[in-house]
Amino acid sequence: MVAVTPQSSARAVAVGGSGWGRRAVLVVAAAYFLVPLVIAISFTVYNEVQGFSLGAYGRIVTSPGFATSFLTSLALAAVTIVLVLVLLLPAMIAVRLGAPGLRPVLETITTLPLIVPPITYVVGISSALREGADALAATPFWATIIAIQDDRFPVVLVLAYVILALPFAYRSLDAGLRAIDVVTLVEAARNLGASWPHLLLRVIMPNLRSALAGAAFLTLALVLGEYTIAALLGYQTFPVWIVTISGNDGQLSVALSILSLVLIWLLLITLSRASGRKKP
Amino acid sequence: MTVEFRALRRTYGATTALDGLDLTVAQGELIALLGPSGCGKTTALRCVAGFETPDSGAVLIDGKDVTRVPANRRDAGMVFQSYSLFPNLNARDNVAFGLRVRRRPTAERHARAAELLALVGLPDHGDRFPHQLSGGQQQRVALARALALQPRVLLLDEPLSALDAKVRVTLREEIRRLQLELGITTVFVTHDQEEALSVADRVAVLRAGRLEQVGAPAEIYDRPATPFVAEFVGTMNHVPGRVTGDRVEVFGRSLPVDGTAPGELVDVLIRPEAVLVTPAEDGGALILASSFRGSTARLRVQLADQSEVLADVPGHDAVRLAPGLRVEVGVVERPVLVTARTSGDQEPAVA
Amino acid sequence: MTSARFTRVKGWAPASPLLLVVAVAFGIPAVMLALGAFTVPGAPGEPGTYGLDNVAASLREPYLTKLLTSIELSAVVAVAGALTGTLLAHAVLTSRSAALRESVLSASGVLANFGGVPLAFIWIATLGNSGLVTTSFGLGPGLLYNFWGLALVYLYFSIPLMVLVIAPALEGLRPQWREAAQGSGASVWQFWRHVGLPVLTPALLGGVVLLFGGSFAAYATAAAMVGASVPLVTMQIADALTGNVLVGFENVALALSLDMIVVAMLVMAVYLPLQRRSSRWLR
Ligand SMILES: Nc1ncnc2c1ncn2[C@@H]1O[C@H](COP(=O)(O)OP(=O)(O)OP(=O)(O)O)[C@@H](O)[C@H]1O
Ligand SMILES: [Mg+2]
Repeated sequence: MVAVTPQSSARAVAVGGSGWGRRAVLVVAAAYFLVPLVIAISFTVYNEVQGFSLGAYGRIVTSPGFATSFLTSLALAAVTIVLVLVLLLPAMIAVRLGAPGLRPVLETITTLPLIVPPITYVVGISSALREGADALAATPFWATIIAIQDDRFPVVLVLAYVILALPFAYRSLDAGLRAIDVVTLVEAARNLGASWPHLLLRVIMPNLRSALAGAAFLTLALVLGEYTIAALLGYQTFPVWIVTISGNDGQLSVALSILSLVLIWLLLITLSRASGRKKP
Repeated sequence: MTVEFRALRRTYGATTALDGLDLTVAQGELIALLGPSGCGKTTALRCVAGFETPDSGAVLIDGKDVTRVPANRRDAGMVFQSYSLFPNLNARDNVAFGLRVRRRPTAERHARAAELLALVGLPDHGDRFPHQLSGGQQQRVALARALALQPRVLLLDEPLSALDAKVRVTLREEIRRLQLELGITTVFVTHDQEEALSVADRVAVLRAGRLEQVGAPAEIYDRPATPFVAEFVGTMNHVPGRVTGDRVEVFGRSLPVDGTAPGELVDVLIRPEAVLVTPAEDGGALILASSFRGSTARLRVQLADQSEVLADVPGHDAVRLAPGLRVEVGVVERPVLVTARTSGDQEPAVA
Repeated sequence: MTSARFTRVKGWAPASPLLLVVAVAFGIPAVMLALGAFTVPGAPGEPGTYGLDNVAASLREPYLTKLLTSIELSAVVAVAGALTGTLLAHAVLTSRSAALRESVLSASGVLANFGGVPLAFIWIATLGNSGLVTTSFGLGPGLLYNFWGLALVYLYFSIPLMVLVIAPALEGLRPQWREAAQGSGASVWQFWRHVGLPVLTPALLGGVVLLFGGSFAAYATAAAMVGASVPLVTMQIADALTGNVLVGFENVALALSLDMIVVAMLVMAVYLPLQRRSSRWLR
């Protein structure tokens, strides 16, 4: 459920509201949000036997599977990002260059994944895989079905993540494309004799840098945080590994929670840096 | 109903928005608050409306101190610069908002809203939502809303500044007509001097939170009390001149000085329309450029000493007085304001 | 027209890879889900037949309770989260301190995306049976492991999400509106009743729907925290998927999934017209 980002905020307008009510709200909210965090952090660095120790964080890195699962997740993210952009960008440019009928279709397919709960999606996927393997057992496609479920690089997860990332990538790219006049850019470039690939790589993409970065980071965040689908399909991605490894080591599991919080935070900072960097 | 600002002061941290403003608006009068951006016009108006509390000083409506009366009990109608209509209500409900808050029956609300919408020239727009109205129409509705409760005072904060030129002129005339018809005491904030001069009974020029001058439009324009007012209202040429006694020599003429001169070498302030331009083959001045404005044309004229002045001539002379023409420059004979010399240390201009 | 020429040349072709991938990766699972939900398994070795049995079963006990509990939990979290999130956003946005505004908004960004098992762990450390707060205040066990405990934990990401959703809308309330209302004699309350809340309604509704969807779909947090002690439909489906149930109930899991999607779509179906109606003036 990663991929909701804060909007930049200017000053706001005080509309009613007394000073005391406001202060009370702030104090209660601070308690609710900060107390669990403070407790969790102190829990990871202190226990009665050893006193203060950063051991729990050290154990994260030395735990078996840390590197493998993290790298798997990164690889999945990289492929997903490339795929999402390669699939979306031409379609979104086509909408602007005179296939406006495509827009409602794009809007729909980039909204559905938000409505469909991941757990139902994974149910659909696994039943498709099962039935598919049965039905295609005698054909050459059987090998494909098996291949996309490879443990080291589960293509099926990439496909699922592409679908899940569509809404976020679409919105980010849409904002970027809205800011540049694609039609004029394309016409000017074509007029100067640019080929389509050249146009896409040299004219449009550079003008979309921050939107592309936004889409990429949202996708990265999504892949690094997604648990349900990977877990239920039985793959050891990083979020799944976190749960597997926590086991009975309470300190380690909470340390991992803090770690994922920090990870989200870092991703969001990078994201806001990337999309905050305006076109020159 | 009179409105009186009494030694109003308001500061925001290090900025002084109002610095002891004194001003009285007479019953039924339309007074324009004019001044450069940031001089405190809006702040002054908001003090009357009750959205702002002065640090010191008082606002009196009808002689009663209302400085501490909350905004919703002030009885002042206000029109804002733009986007002030409630977006979720149509024009009729916007106008009738005050009556709804007062729990008046629906029939009365609708009747009153219809009456006011007709008054502002939008009798058929009651069902429109703000986003379905043009900027000018929105401001008309805002005006109707401000008048709906028959307030004692009408406050207008640059109500026309977001509109295009043509609409601005029609609407300001309409505001004036309504104001006269209703006889409502009105404070009209603007930074457009033409607007101020054309609709107001009196114009109050503000500078850095203080009143610089208040008077009838013609008085402000013709007899500015200070160089600041002279500069701010209309266009002024700074022409070097030399003072002798109570007269100043400029363009080869000797004119009476209005007020006292700060020294011998001064700048004489001369309006473009007071500069006379006549063609002369051996004239020392040269027309550099001309911009035609319909009824007048504004010429940029280079004098013999290379300095430049602006001159307004009747529009029908524009063809005759074309750029490149040699001319002689004179000045209308009447008292002039002078200021300390800022236009370099040249000798008095001769043409 | 140049762009018209491109139309004919390019048309929908650039979109075909995307449409293909969506058809395969989303269309096939969707169809399989729907087919499976309506397939009644035959005897071993026999092919299944189509029928409503699974769907009917999914709407009977013991499954109905789970579906209803999920809906109830999500509704509670959505409404409570929307209210508190709005209050918090308002309190923060009207604050004079820019630092407070900035830090709360970016913290909201982080926490809105913080969910799953890690969220459960943090709350277990706080309010779990041996959590610090539980033990230091002698609160007794089981505090967290029930419906309300789960709601409390879900609010941890729901409130920040609401803050993010509602903040732009709150910032869009123009000061002129409040002042114009006051000038017309309205009290603060009357301003909110006639102008403020109606203008915020689309964003509020949007937030409620988003929060509902987030809690309704959440699975990992609940699984790690309460196990089976709070019956939720997501956990039932996961159990079926991982083989934790009797054989033959897999198709009921498909039907339950279908139920979930229908609920989600119903919520959207209620929301969209409302949202369209109340946002018509914001265009
Ligand atoms: N709420 C505020 N906080 C801080 N400073 C303010 C505030 N309101 C006004 N000021 C400052 O007070 C001064 C006067 O502001 P005011 O809005 O009255 O100017 P104005 O004459 O209406 O200008 P304009 O023509 O640009 O509208 C300005 O320097 C402004 O920056
Ligand atoms: Mg102003």
